[in-house]
Amino acid sequence: MVVNPREAPTPAIAGDVALLPSGAAGAPLRQSNLWRDALRRYSRNRAAVLAGSVFVLLLLFVLIFPFVSPYDSDKIDFALKAQGPSLSHPFGTDNFGRDLMTRTAVGGRVSMGIGFGATLAILLIGVAYGSISGFVGGRLDNGMMRLLDTLYGLPYLPFAIIVTAIFGNVTFWTMVVALSIVSWFTTARIVRGQIITLKENDYVRAARAVGARWYRVLGRHLLPNTLGVLIIAIFLELPGVILGEAILSFIGLGISPPDASWGQMANDGRTAYRIAPHIIAVPSIAIATLILCANFVADGLRDALDPRTKET
Amino acid sequence: MGTFIIRRIVWTIPVILLVIFMTFVLMRQIAGNPFRTSERNVPEEIQRNLERKFGLDKPWYIQYVTYVKNVATFDLGPSLVLRNRDVNDIVREHFPRSLELGGLAFLFAFVVGILVGALSGLRANSALDYGAMFLSNVGYALPSFLVATLFIYFFALEWDLGFPTSGWTTWQSKVLPVIALGLAPMAAFARLVRGTMLETLQQDYIRTAKAKGLRWRRVVGLHVLRNSLIPVITAAGPTLGFLITGSFVIEQIFAIPGIGRYYVTAVTARDYSVVMGLTVLLAIIVILANLFVDIMYGILDPRTRDARA
Repeated sequence: MVVNPREAPTPAIAGDVALLPSGAAGAPLRQSNLWRDALRRYSRNRAAVLAGSVFVLLLLFVLIFPFVSPYDSDKIDFALKAQGPSLSHPFGTDNFGRDLMTRTAVGGRVSMGIGFGATLAILLIGVAYGSISGFVGGRLDNGMMRLLDTLYGLPYLPFAIIVTAIFGNVTFWTMVVALSIVSWFTTARIVRGQIITLKENDYVRAARAVGARWYRVLGRHLLPNTLGVLIIAIFLELPGVILGEAILSFIGLGISPPDASWGQMANDGRTAYRIAPHIIAVPSIAIATLILCANFVADGLRDALDPRTKET
Repeated sequence: MGTFIIRRIVWTIPVILLVIFMTFVLMRQIAGNPFRTSERNVPEEIQRNLERKFGLDKPWYIQYVTYVKNVATFDLGPSLVLRNRDVNDIVREHFPRSLELGGLAFLFAFVVGILVGALSGLRANSALDYGAMFLSNVGYALPSFLVATLFIYFFALEWDLGFPTSGWTTWQSKVLPVIALGLAPMAAFARLVRGTMLETLQQDYIRTAKAKGLRWRRVVGLHVLRNSLIPVITAAGPTLGFLITGSFVIEQIFAIPGIGRYYVTAVTARDYSVVMGLTVLLAIIVILANLFVDIMYGILDPRTRDARA
């Protein structure tokens, strides 16, 4: 059996999963664990596998291409202004004659960097808020969930704009802060739900019975078991954050030049869409591909890591 | 039922107060006061008079209470940049267009989305289903600015179908922005309806209905569709958020003088009272829409009444 090292069990989880029966009585025991099962379930979903591969390819392109590209992403050459796709410039050039393929890779670093940065922040806030609410329970839980309900439906864009305005100059990090502040609600709710379900498990009661302190119960038995839903949450939140950044940049309230994200590049192409539609199309398609892949990966992961949700 | 509705309405009041408070706190964090901008050199006395005129010399909680009182009487305050206009004027002028754009886009998303989703659900795993779901997934992922630009490029310019590239006057000028704005929510509705359809089709009462000899068309109309549509109502709340976000982009691209476009202008001009007023307005609209959705949901599905009140 091929074991992907990334899927190797972390000790905390292996301990819990070892209690599960593996294989029918009498049959030779097939070694099985949560992550290997998840991988098997995931790889059965062809759309998710394809989407995952494209996602990884896109990530590699963004990370590696700027190093191997023969062009400088900032080199301006008006002789090459707004050229369509050609052999030497597969994605064409932009209004300043810069190679769009290189710029897409460089801009992708900014977009994906903001995307992953904000997603990470969302997970941190979500885990903190959700686990406190779910773990403490009672009145506090009630109040915290009410607050969440209040914030949940609010239109996030105006608030994100206000947060960026507070910082004045919009940079990579202000963008991360603005986007994560307005979109951590779903993850907090997911984590809280998970903690509440897990709290009822016998092993938690057992841990309590042998005198484990609350932080040990939370850190050792509850939080590690939310890892599955957190991995799903990454791919649920990523599209929204990346799109949010793109929209802010597109309406002219994004990070300040000379840094370029995909949304900024699309904004650059807006004025020239009649003569050179590829300038707006290339970064937009990059965003669409990323979002499409993330959606399918999230679907696949949900079936793989959280099969219970399928039964309802 | 009556108490449920009343409790739900009463609960909305602190929610609105909280949202105004949050907006208020956030706006105060924006550096400096609107009159003390570095570009303008205002004498000290005039500065103080201006602050007194707009109540900026009072402590923050007094300002907050005043603001809430004003909002309660539908007064969103003056514009700091356009001296002869207040936020109400701006809302009155720009909001109807945004409302029409959003309303038509919602209608498009709702009708087409349910139609596509229901057909896909009934013919699950057919070519039609795969095609529709592929398009829905793509439609859901495409950024609205790409959709809008492609619409203008092909429908208005390349093929010259008689649609103007911008504005909000004739019905022709409204077709492209409405569809561009409604596409992503339409795709979301279609996926949701298909999912709930498939679930409903598995239910025992559908089998019973079929077994007692009810014609299939009646089973679908009477049992499947009705029960599948209840979850769709919950999706209406988030859809509104979608539409508001989308309108910022769509109004910009199609040069529609609506609230979304004006909001961006106000942020760039640092007209903070307008930004604040419009934010509060949008938030209250969303809160009231959620109130409506919850009440509808409570009427349609009695089990949720206690939990959601």
